[in-house]
Amino acid sequence: MEQTQARSNIYALLSRVLMQELDDEMLEMILKDAAIREFFPSLKDWEILENSDNKTLLEQHINVDFANISLLHLVPYETFYTREDQKIETGGANPVTDIYNEYDYIVDYAKARVVSSDHIGIELEFMHYLIEMELRAAEANDEDAVKHMQFAQKTFLNKHLLKWAPMYLINVKYESRTPIYYDAAEMCLEFILADNEYLSNGKAA
Amino acid sequence: MFLENRRTFLKGAAFTVAGAAIAKNVMSTDVMAESLNESKFTNTPDSLAFYPPLDQWEDFKELSGDDWKRGGIERKGVQSDENPDGIYVNDFTIVPTACSNCEASCGLTAWIDKKTFTVKKYMGNPLHPGSRGRNCAKGYAAQSQMYDPDRLAFPIMRAPGSKRGEGKWVRVTWDDAMTAIGKKMGDSLRKGDELSKKSVMFHVGRPNENGFTGKVWQTLGQDCFNSHTNICSSGGRTPTIQWANDDRTSPDWANAKLVFLNSSHAADAGHYFQQAAGHIADARKKGAKLVVMDPRLSNSAGIADLWIAPWPGTEATIYLYLVQRMLAEGQVNTAFVKKWFNWEVMMDNSKYLDFMVEKGYIAAKPTGNTFEDYMEMLKELYTPFTLEYAVKESHVPAYKLEQLYDMFLWAGESISSYFWRAAAAGNRGGWVSGRTGYLALGLRGAIGPKGGTFFHHWHVISVAGKGGSATIGQGSRGKDVPKISSWNELSWPPEWPLSTYEMSFLLPHLLTDTEWQQKWIKKGLNVPTKLDVWIPRMYNPVWINPDGFRWLEVLKDESKMGLTFNLSPTWSETNWFVDYVLPVGLAGERHDQHSEATMPARWTSFRQPVMRVALEKAGWKPNNPNRATLEAHIKAGLGEVWEENEFWFDMCVNYIDPKSDIFLDAAKTKTIKSMWESKRTPGKPVTIAEWYDAAFGDNLPNLHKTATEDPKYKDSEFPVYEYMRDHGAWLEENHIYSPQERVIKEDAENYIAHGHKYKKEHVEIDKRTGVMTAKAHGDAWKYPDGRKPIGIETDGVKMEGMATLDKKLDFFSEWFASDEWKWPEYAIPFYPRNEKEKAEMTHIVSHVNHMYMKEENSYALNTVFRLPYNIHTRSANSKHLMEISQNHDPIWISVEDAKRQGFKRGDAIRVEIVDTVSGLSSGYFVAMAVPTEGVLPGTLACSHHGGRWKLVNSVTIPNGVTDGKVDRSGIEKNMNDPKFMAESPKDVGQDGAQIKIENYNGTAGLNSYGVPTAEMQMDGKEGKLTYTQGIVPFKTERFAEQNKDSDNIWWDGLSGSWQNAVAPAHPDPISGMHCWHQKVILTKAEAGDKIGDISVNYENNFNTYKAWRDELTRPLNETNKWRRPQWIKRPWVPLTEKAYAVRIK
Repeated sequence: MEQTQARSNIYALLSRVLMQELDDEMLEMILKDAAIREFFPSLKDWEILENSDNKTLLEQHINVDFANISLLHLVPYETFYTREDQKIETGGANPVTDIYNEYDYIVDYAKARVVSSDHIGIELEFMHYLIEMELRAAEANDEDAVKHMQFAQKTFLNKHLLKWAPMYLINVKYESRTPIYYDAAEMCLEFILADNEYLSNGKAA
Repeated sequence: MFLENRRTFLKGAAFTVAGAAIAKNVMSTDVMAESLNESKFTNTPDSLAFYPPLDQWEDFKELSGDDWKRGGIERKGVQSDENPDGIYVNDFTIVPTACSNCEASCGLTAWIDKKTFTVKKYMGNPLHPGSRGRNCAKGYAAQSQMYDPDRLAFPIMRAPGSKRGEGKWVRVTWDDAMTAIGKKMGDSLRKGDELSKKSVMFHVGRPNENGFTGKVWQTLGQDCFNSHTNICSSGGRTPTIQWANDDRTSPDWANAKLVFLNSSHAADAGHYFQQAAGHIADARKKGAKLVVMDPRLSNSAGIADLWIAPWPGTEATIYLYLVQRMLAEGQVNTAFVKKWFNWEVMMDNSKYLDFMVEKGYIAAKPTGNTFEDYMEMLKELYTPFTLEYAVKESHVPAYKLEQLYDMFLWAGESISSYFWRAAAAGNRGGWVSGRTGYLALGLRGAIGPKGGTFFHHWHVISVAGKGGSATIGQGSRGKDVPKISSWNELSWPPEWPLSTYEMSFLLPHLLTDTEWQQKWIKKGLNVPTKLDVWIPRMYNPVWINPDGFRWLEVLKDESKMGLTFNLSPTWSETNWFVDYVLPVGLAGERHDQHSEATMPARWTSFRQPVMRVALEKAGWKPNNPNRATLEAHIKAGLGEVWEENEFWFDMCVNYIDPKSDIFLDAAKTKTIKSMWESKRTPGKPVTIAEWYDAAFGDNLPNLHKTATEDPKYKDSEFPVYEYMRDHGAWLEENHIYSPQERVIKEDAENYIAHGHKYKKEHVEIDKRTGVMTAKAHGDAWKYPDGRKPIGIETDGVKMEGMATLDKKLDFFSEWFASDEWKWPEYAIPFYPRNEKEKAEMTHIVSHVNHMYMKEENSYALNTVFRLPYNIHTRSANSKHLMEISQNHDPIWISVEDAKRQGFKRGDAIRVEIVDTVSGLSSGYFVAMAVPTEGVLPGTLACSHHGGRWKLVNSVTIPNGVTDGKVDRSGIEKNMNDPKFMAESPKDVGQDGAQIKIENYNGTAGLNSYGVPTAEMQMDGKEGKLTYTQGIVPFKTERFAEQNKDSDNIWWDGLSGSWQNAVAPAHPDPISGMHCWHQKVILTKAEAGDKIGDISVNYENNFNTYKAWRDELTRPLNETNKWRRPQWIKRPWVPLTEKAYAVRIK
């Protein structure tokens, strides 16, 4: 259970960081929560962090870098990496939509501020939901449901995130100009690979 | 490594805040997602078809295209009680109808939102064989026309004490109007003398139905059915009558190899263009070539394989050049010509052959009378039409004519063409282009086969007037309705006996011209000098006809037009000057059976009042079954808007002849009332379902069989009507090729031709021509020797043949050459061969031929082309069409001409119209110059469909909303609400039952989307009009939802000049066509001139009409026994021998 909760939390954290620019509350959480901060090891050597208030950090550095790695120079959408023509599929033909629909999930685009449901932040958040469902199934001692949810996680991870996210995340590591996104990319890359091994080796059960 | 790392990741469990609180939570499983899953909607439909299957039409849900813009269902889900923010779902019932915005009758479907009982959109009808689910901009515009805030909401009458045109109106009930009109009509008809049969004139612009109103006028005993045809297409019909005794061309565009357009018509605008363009596109996809012959680079010409720009009216020289080469080079389909040209008749007419020698057409009479002699004679006859002559006369470069010839040969017999409007309607003698064009087609065998060109009557269904079995008096298919026994000189003057249709555009001239009236009265004709009642319908002659000020003079004169009323859904220039305007419905608000020859098949559409049909199919019952459409339109919030079918049923039974004492026959057995009384409910008018069940069922056997065998309909009270109500279209017969070759059936005793049996012993077969004739019964007077031609035998096969007397294609029109009909020089396809002949043969030389362009800066103005988004007079009530049609009617002038005269794009120029017969100036209009390479130098182009006007911006109808008016029910319009479905207004049309018009404050605009305001002056001789204000953005409460963008109007509505008022009437001496083109002289605008100004000398115009009449026609005289050739039908109503007979003193 602890492991499952950990996985859920990490997917939630990564989806939040990679979906939208940080706000003051989120930045405070990263800086103050020791467990979270451990996932951002480069922060300790970041001089700007020591000399700036949150507003400056966000407006002049972190969010600028977010625009850099998610809007200006890199494209955080699955179909950009998987389609021959490198176009983002914004309509219902997006391959992730069917899976979301299967679990009665729907993306609130206005809230997410993304153009398509295969944004890396959305896909990570979907993993978070699948794991949350597993947790609820476990609480109810519904082993079949637990297994089903684990299978769903593994399927989604393999059919979607692992097909393209590593390429994007490696690019983020190269393009990022702040430790926040460098570390987030590094962490995300390692995590999804590790998580796949975890799900594949039957450790989850 | 990663496994080791995973230990690190276990720290994720130690977050102080749970993941659920960290995530943005942009995914949810709320009702939005459920609404999507529970609905049928998806972003990835299996098909992109516009139309659901027929079995879903009565209940079809579709997401709102407007609301979709909020983000679509992936973002908002589908609207439901649980998810109110979802995308709106229209709850449609789909009702078929047919467009009425041009003549083509393309299928439409009205998508009626049940929840608001409004038409959200009009789409095509996929079941319509001709239009195949497609429409042009005009079709979709039916929706904006329906909810035009200025549409007339109730019957109105000229205010007592005011004069016509003064603009004072009061609201009246339908009953009051019908009582006054019915009494006036009844009083006139009751007299029963000959003049009374010429006193109540109906004047239709666009009929858009096949025989209903004609039947009404037949049952009124009137020779008073007038139409707009002679300002439209009589020049296109004349050659078809001569060749085939048919009405018009009917090409098989879809299978042609060469599509040869003699105008911008068909592919671009005008007759059947949306359907024709689709078929032409199909043909081109298969490799067909497109040739467009037009002095203007039309849209079609722009995409053609070959554009030929001849001088207007010289097209015949091009056809005859083709003919000359085919004959000279042995490229004639001799088998077809021998079989179907009337060569025997010609070669046996010694007198005519002598005449040809005398005229120098041929050097000597042929020595024999065989087919080979005939072909040799043709070769000689057309030798003068060389490439050099065709180039000189037409101004088309030689290389283009040679290309055309090559294409013509390449296509074999698969050449589709259309002779209509443009050349035929613009030029004096324009009909000769068709006469010679058919010759070129015929010599290649292209008349009748697949991909070729044929004739109209084989490809059309006319049953709208044949529902007689539903009435007490008409008999099956109307067989008991008496024929008309009088002849109206106001529509068929003796100067134009061969006019294909009525000389309608001369009506004001003939009513004004007392000298002309007295001349013919002295010669023994009973010429009317006035009309008791004049009823235009879907017609605006003041604006669209030539010499508009003359129309105004006559309309205002109550001594010439006793009572006038217009059946019209909208305001128009003409309406302003009549006594009553009675609002009848638009495309989705009326019943019509309407068929057109758009393909080699016989289809019909069924136009319907869609709101009524939707209600009735859902179980609603009207209070008054004879006014169901009126009740339904009130329920729909359209106002007291009715339809003509029910109006005329009711008028004839309850208002014109309420006592059933106006008799139609000498024996006094048939009354007007009995003609329209229901057989099922005697004393009451026939109903729509009764009439159309009979009209369709009694006349279309395949439809009858299908409907009565269909399990859905076979037990219905009116199975055929209901089948048509649900489908909106029907294909009775397809793939009709070369039907003249249909073999005559026979049994032991009879031949059976065209459905009639003829006893073999009564049939004779001419040994020389093969023509089969039978002794005629009752109509022997129609045939020169009293014998009716019923077929033709060729090579031992008895066939139905053409509709001519000799059952063949009349290369030689023998009757045309006769002393009786007086035009021998034009009895064969011909055109003058030199300048001398041109001077002699003025009847067939265009009045804008280059030989008349003697003054510097004189031009031939081509006026006859349509703008594909405009509908003559019927567009100004559509905001969509008005927005896309602005400033599109300038003067096209060639770059070189513009440069010579110093005109730049946008310059105002004066266009003075000068007549080449009378030599008189008509005045001028001021137009905008647009220099272009798209027009032949020396010619200009400016469509005559511009220049709408009104004299005031808005009109207030006193008591429009308050005194004595009844509130509507107060029940929300919602077809899903049983209360709404159970309710209907009571006593509609009666005093005390007038309804308050929703959101109408007593004042309405007049075509606020499309017609600017003008100031007019006229003094009996000269008239002027200048625009004072363009249209402006406005707000409306009426139909506010559909017009919420009316404050976004960016256009001023000034779209051309009212050039028709400047144009004098130019009646062609033979076809009777108003020849639209003009000789004009261009000068720079003078100080104070504004684009749109006109200045007219309509006294000169009157003298120009007289000059064309007196110098060019060959009127009936004492040698004539008949008003016109007896075997040539008069349109609309059948006439008796007495009516056709004439004696001129």
